[in-house]
Amino acid sequence: MAIIKKIINWGRIKSPWVLHFNTGACNACDIEIIASLTPRYDLERFGVLLKGTPRHADILLCSGPVTKQVECRLLRIYEQMAEPKFVIAVGSCASSGGVFGCCYNVEGGIDTVIPVSIYIPGCPVNPQALIDGLVKLLASLEGPSPCMKDSKARDDLPIGKP
Amino acid sequence: MLKELFNILVFPGLLFLFIFGMAIEFVDRKLCARLQNRIGPPWYQPLADFIKLLGKEDVVPQESDVAVFKLGPVFALAAAATAFLYIPLWNKQALFSFSGDIIVVFYLLTIPTLVFFLGGWYSRSVFSMIGAVRTLTQFFAYEVPLFMCILSSSLLANTWSLSEMTVFYLAHPWCWLFTLPGFFIALIALLGKLEKVPFDIPEAETEIVAGAFTEYGGRFLAFLRTVLNMEMVVGSSLLAAVFLPFGFVHNAALSFMIFIAKILFITALIAVAHSVVARLRLNQMVSLCWRVFAPLAFLQVLISLVIKGFLVMR
Ligand code: SF4
Repeated sequence: MAIIKKIINWGRIKSPWVLHFNTGACNACDIEIIASLTPRYDLERFGVLLKGTPRHADILLCSGPVTKQVECRLLRIYEQMAEPKFVIAVGSCASSGGVFGCCYNVEGGIDTVIPVSIYIPGCPVNPQALIDGLVKLLASLEGPSPCMKDSKARDDLPIGKP
Repeated sequence: MLKELFNILVFPGLLFLFIFGMAIEFVDRKLCARLQNRIGPPWYQPLADFIKLLGKEDVVPQESDVAVFKLGPVFALAAAATAFLYIPLWNKQALFSFSGDIIVVFYLLTIPTLVFFLGGWYSRSVFSMIGAVRTLTQFFAYEVPLFMCILSSSLLANTWSLSEMTVFYLAHPWCWLFTLPGFFIALIALLGKLEKVPFDIPEAETEIVAGAFTEYGGRFLAFLRTVLNMEMVVGSSLLAAVFLPFGFVHNAALSFMIFIAKILFITALIAVAHSVVARLRLNQMVSLCWRVFAPLAFLQVLISLVIKGFLVMR
């Protein structure tokens, strides 16, 4: 049994598929995410593929603060992803709310809504920083304490909340 | 009995097809990456993807038709793997053959496409429904040129069996040169079957999320990806058997190498095609197939008939 777990864990580390979701960023972080997927930085070296649908993805790359409007969409996308799933907060805004932190229409960082595994600071994040964060997340899966947050029990997620 | 079971399940059947399909996927992705001046994925990437998908949670949408959703990928896998048994690979003789097996291979190759349609349709999500309809529309476009080209080759050989075709082309060497235009048309049509880039309209991820596969995840997606890999191997070995029928020497190892080289050649052509062109629109694709490729395929049939007349007169 242990060996099977090990093999599956190996597969998980070697093939992280990402989904990119803009929760209200100023678009600079999004451009940097795209830049790190293009030939200059080539994330496919690590097996990263950009997927269009949450069902295929393992890692949710969130950029930007969570606005009030996007909150339930973010939850929904998070819920549509299959376990095991990880969330990376890309940029200062996603980590804490950043410059938009005290806006009337902003909830705060990504972790006010869904559990986050890795925070990558920067405004906007550098592609190198993004790759570093991703590699650190994958490396943590090898060790005894993976950055795996328990997703909340399905019933207490405020999906229907307006 | 035992030997046949081994042939069907291990070599050159299911297991070989599975591993070879992964190798081809890797070659395809790596070549594409190198053409874009990237480093590309490591050699174990398709295997890691497969294992990861097996280890993920299976989500079945509440609205979907559970039986179709779950059983479809298995049917597609079985059909693609069965088609492989009727194609002459490195022997003159395919594992199984009878007169008319070319039709059976056609039908079996159609089943995965149909499964993509049904799976997408019964997932009951808007994106997957659009993808499913596009799959079917595209299917009506590329199928005619593809089959016409393969039939032109079989007309020349005057047989409906793939193995007998190979025997004919070995008896008349260089006859395959006359069907070479058909090879390129069939190759382009094969891109449509595999949903590769100029024709990846059904799963255009920039427009309709992931097309028919939108709701698939976990084990089912792993199966579907395997089916696509297998289709790639089966399709290119069908083209290799029909249009490049040479190199069947007595030394088994050597002719195996020649077979691999042929498949790699076709894979390389496909990789080049889908890294240098962009996606077409559905109407462009349909009109291209019907207005350009279908007449060209007819021309190929005419050429084959004329050559056949010469052969008969001689
Ligand atoms: S962190 Fe900076 S660059 Fe990124 S979304 Fe926020 S303000 Fe824009």
